[in-house]
Amino acid sequence: MNNFDFHTPATVADATRAIGAASDGRYLAGGQSLLPAMKMGLSAPSDLVALSAIAQLKGIRVEGGALHVGAGETHAAVAASAVVRGSIPALARLADLIGDSAVRSLGTLGGSIALNDPAGCYPAAILGLGATVRTDRRSIAADAFFTGMYETALEPGELIVSVSFPVPDKASWQKFRQPASRFSLVGVFASRGPAGVRVGVTGAATCAFRATALEAALAREWSAAACKGVAVSAEGLNADLHASAAYRAHLVGVLCRWGVELA
Amino acid sequence: MSSTPTADLNVGRYGSGHAVRRIEDPTLVAGTGKYVDDASMPGQLHVVMLRSPYPHARIASIDASAARAMPGVVAVYTGADLAAAGVKALPTPGPFPRPDGKPSTAAPLHALAVGTVRFVGEAVAAIVADTRDAARDARDAVMVDYEDLPAVVTIADALADGAPLVWPAAGDNWAARAQHGDAKAADAAFAKAAHVVALELVNQRVAAVAMEPRGVLAYPDPDTGRLTLRLSSQMPSGARDTIAEALGLAKEDARVVVGDVGGGFGMKTGAYQEDVVVGFCAKTLRRPVKWAAERGEEFLVGRAGRDVETRASLALDADGRVLALRLRTNANVGAYATTTGVVIQLLIGPWVSTSVYDIPLIDFDLRAVMTHTAPVGAYRGAGRPEAIYITERLMDAAARKLGLDPAEIRLRNMIRPEQMPYTNPMAQTYDTGNFPSIAKQGLALADWNGFDARAAASKARGKLRGRGLATFLEWTGGNVFEERVTVDVSADGYIEIYTATQAMGQGIATSYAQLAVDVFGVPIDRVRIVQGDTDRGQGFGSAGSRSLFTGGSAVRVASQRTIEQAKDLAADALEASPKDIEYAEGSFSIVGTDRRIGLFELAAKQADRRVYVDATSSVSGPTWPNGCHACEVEVDPDTGEVDVVAYSSVNDVGRVVSPTIVVGQLDGGAVQGLGQALCEQMVYDRETGQLLTGSLSDYALPRADLVRRFRTELDQSVPSVNNPLGVKGVGELGTIGATPCVVNAVIDALAREGALERAQAMQMPLVPEKVWRALHGG
Repeated sequence: MNNFDFHTPATVADATRAIGAASDGRYLAGGQSLLPAMKMGLSAPSDLVALSAIAQLKGIRVEGGALHVGAGETHAAVAASAVVRGSIPALARLADLIGDSAVRSLGTLGGSIALNDPAGCYPAAILGLGATVRTDRRSIAADAFFTGMYETALEPGELIVSVSFPVPDKASWQKFRQPASRFSLVGVFASRGPAGVRVGVTGAATCAFRATALEAALAREWSAAACKGVAVSAEGLNADLHASAAYRAHLVGVLCRWGVELA
Repeated sequence: MSSTPTADLNVGRYGSGHAVRRIEDPTLVAGTGKYVDDASMPGQLHVVMLRSPYPHARIASIDASAARAMPGVVAVYTGADLAAAGVKALPTPGPFPRPDGKPSTAAPLHALAVGTVRFVGEAVAAIVADTRDAARDARDAVMVDYEDLPAVVTIADALADGAPLVWPAAGDNWAARAQHGDAKAADAAFAKAAHVVALELVNQRVAAVAMEPRGVLAYPDPDTGRLTLRLSSQMPSGARDTIAEALGLAKEDARVVVGDVGGGFGMKTGAYQEDVVVGFCAKTLRRPVKWAAERGEEFLVGRAGRDVETRASLALDADGRVLALRLRTNANVGAYATTTGVVIQLLIGPWVSTSVYDIPLIDFDLRAVMTHTAPVGAYRGAGRPEAIYITERLMDAAARKLGLDPAEIRLRNMIRPEQMPYTNPMAQTYDTGNFPSIAKQGLALADWNGFDARAAASKARGKLRGRGLATFLEWTGGNVFEERVTVDVSADGYIEIYTATQAMGQGIATSYAQLAVDVFGVPIDRVRIVQGDTDRGQGFGSAGSRSLFTGGSAVRVASQRTIEQAKDLAADALEASPKDIEYAEGSFSIVGTDRRIGLFELAAKQADRRVYVDATSSVSGPTWPNGCHACEVEVDPDTGEVDVVAYSSVNDVGRVVSPTIVVGQLDGGAVQGLGQALCEQMVYDRETGQLLTGSLSDYALPRADLVRRFRTELDQSVPSVNNPLGVKGVGELGTIGATPCVVNAVIDALAREGALERAQAMQMPLVPEKVWRALHGG
C-alpha cells in the first residue's frame, strides 16, 4: 500500500473541500472495497477523506411517504433499524445479507452505490424502488444514477448525503450467491408502490439494470404466476467461471417470481 | 520410603477410548498458537518472490539494478544467481517409465526459474529487504524481459498433435506410464460379460487451502553457520533432507523446526522451492530471513491435488457380479512431474481401485501428462478419492443398468469377512474388515429403505430428492512403518514424549497423551507431547493417515519400555528384586507391601534427575479403514441448487483412542469431499494459461451451511491386526467417501426425473447451472 494523507472532516463542506484540495483524493466510506484494492496496489490515492465522523451523513427516518437513509449508515445499522424494518423490510433484509458481519459493520450505503460494483446489492434496491440519491449539490433519480461498470452520474468530488426510498406496498429482495465471493451472482429487488412496478437487477450484467419485461408483466398482474413465461434476454449479460449469461437470465426470472411470491 | 499417590487421579477418564478435551486447544483457540509468521529473529530480513505472469516463456533477461538500489533492499537473486552458487534443482524424476518405455524425464524444478518459466506464478526472482513492504516495492522495479511461448493447460491440448512441449527433451508431453493387471484376461472377461458399463469421469484439480499459508524463517547459527529453518510442514525430516541436498549441505548442517501448523492436508508434505530460496538467502547473507506466503501465492504454487481424467468400465455377469475393472487414465501432473504427483495417480490410488469388492481382474493403463500448470501433489486422500470415486460411480451405473438397488449390487460383490486376509489384484493385502456388516449398519442408519416417503415429502415442497451411497475402503500408512519415540520422565513431574510425527490441527498430541495415560496411569496434564525438531528425532512425519497407528503404537511401546526400565531403578531404590516391583498409577511398589516410590520421585533420585528411554518400534503393515457413507440431497428444479439434507456414515477405523477427534476427522474430511463434489475447482484459462481461481473470491470452498448435520458412527469390532493398538487411520476416510456419495445422490435425483444420461455425463463440481442444464436439457 502506498502512503497517503488522511483526513477526518466533521462536516460535508469540510469533506468536499478536502477532496477538492487533494491531487487524487478518495472518500473513505467504509472502505470494504477501496482498502482491499489499495492493499493489492490496484488503487493508490493521494488522500483519503474519511466520512465516518460526519453527523450529516447519518440518520434514518420516514417522512412524506419515503424512507430517508443517511449515506453514512452502515449495512448493519440499516439491517437492524426498526424504521427500515417497519417501512421497507426488504431493504433491511438486503442489508442483512451483504458480505459478513465485519463488512456490514463498516460498509455504508453511500459507499456501496458510489462504487457501483456490478454485483453490489444496493444498486438493485435503488433501481427497484425508484429511489432518489441526494448529494451535496443536487438530487439524482435512480434511473440516471448508475451509468456503467463502476460508473455513476457523480461528478468529481460530489458527495452522496442521503438516499430517499419511496415506501412501496410490496417489495422483496432475492439474492442468488456466487458460491465463492458470496456477492450476488444475480440479485433481484422487485416492488410495487408510488414509483410503479419496478424490478432492479444486480450481478447479471456490468451494471445494475431494470428488468422491463418482468415489470410489464407484473404491472398487468402482481403475481408469481405473471413472472412465469416471461423471457429475460441473455443478451449482454455476464458470462464467467461461475455462470453463463443464459443461466443468469434464467435466474432473473426465477428470483423475481420467488420474490413476488413472498412479498 | 513411601509416597502418597496423587489424590483423585481420574485417570480412567483420560485414557484411550474416552472423549477428552484436546490438550492443544487452549493455546490454539485463544489465538496464542505460534505459526511461522508469528516467529521472528532479531535482525531478520524479509523476502518476497517475483512470479511469472506467463504460463510459458523464455526469460530473455532480468534487470534488477533499479530494485537493488531502492531503500532497504539487501539483495535480489535470480535463478541464474542460485545456479551459479551451486543450488541444485529439487528432485523431479518419476519412478515409472514413459509410455514409449524410455526412462521418465521432466523439467528440473529450480527454486527460482532458470531460463524458462512453465506455469503462471513460478518464481523468477527473490527480493530481500529490511521490511516486507520495502521488498514488495522493490519487486515492482525488477524488470524481466519475457519471450512469450505457446502453452497448454489441459490434458487434451497437451496430447494434441503439434502441442507446445513442456519439456522438449521428452519429445512429447508424457511424463510416465504404469500398467497394472492382466489386460488379456480382462479383455476375455469383457467379451463374455452379460453387461458392460462405461463412464467418462473427470476428477478436477482442487486446492488444499490450509488456513495457515506456508512460510519459512531461516537463520544461520552465528558461530557455526549451521542453518535452521522454521517451516509449516507435516514432514520436517523429509523437508530437511531435500533442502540440505539442494543447498549442498550435509544433512547434519541443516535443522528443521516446526511450531503450530495451521492445516496441512498433504500440501505441506515436502520441501518447496521457496524453502530452498529462503535457506539460500539466510546462508548467503548470514542473517535470519523470513518469507510468508500470501493466499494468492498458495493458489498459484501450493501443491493442488487430483486433476485426473478416466475412461472407466466394468464387466459384469448376469447377476451383477463384477468380472473385471478397466481404467484408462490421464493425470495432469503439471509442468514439473514430481515423484509424489506421479506416484499418487499411477500407484497409490490404484491400490484401492477394487475397494471392498471381490473383483478378480483388473486392466489399468495410467499415464501422467505434463502441462503448463503448477505441479500437483498430495491432497487429503491422495489418489484414493480419485480411485474410489470411479469405482462408486461405476457401481451405481451398473445397478441402474441391471435394475438392481445400489445397495444390493454392492453387497453382492463385497469381500466376505471369511476371505480375510484378502489380497487384491494390486497385490495389496487387507488384514481385517467386515464390509457387509459395515454396509448393512450404514444402510440402517440412513434408513435407506425409507427413502420413498421422504422423496414424496420433498416433492410436495417442490424439491427433487435423491439418495447416494458409497461403500469403500482406503489404504493408510505411507508404507513407512517404523517410528522413533523418546520418553523423558523428569523430576519436575512431567512425562515428555517426543515424536517425529507432526501435529497440524488434527489433535494427534491429545491422542498420544491418552495412550501415555493408558500406560503410566498419570493425569493427562502430566504428559507433554513434543514434536517438530529434526535435532530431537527424525521420522517420516505425518501423511497418509499414518500418525496414530505408527506413531501412536510407538508411543505405547516406548512408554511400556520406560516402565520396565524404571522398574529396575525402583528395585534399587526400594532395595528389592525387580521381579517383586509392580507399577500402578504413578508409583512403583513392592508386591504385597506398602513400600512404594512415585515415578517422578524416582526420576529425582537419578543422577540426571530423569528416566529417559529412546525407543524405535515398527508396526507390521498398513491399515485398511472402511466405511459406508449415505446421503440424501434435494435439488431445486428452478435453479439446480443442491442441498445436502442428510448425511450419515458407519465407519470401521478399528479401535478408537479419541472419539471426539475421530468423529471430527470424519466430518471435517467429509466437508472437504463435499466441497469437491459441489463447488471446488481450480481452473486455468485454456487460452491464456492464467489461473482463474486464484483467490477465495473465485475458488469456492464449502461453507458451514453446506451440511446440516452429520450422523457419524464408529464400529470398533474389527481392529487392525497390523499394529498393537488395533487402530486404523482416519484422516482421509471422510474425504474419500463423501465425494462419490454426494454425486451419486444428485444423479439419483435427476435420474428419477428421466435425466439419467445427462446426469451421468455431468462432471464435478456439480454447481447449480450444471445440474439445472442436466435436468432440463440444453
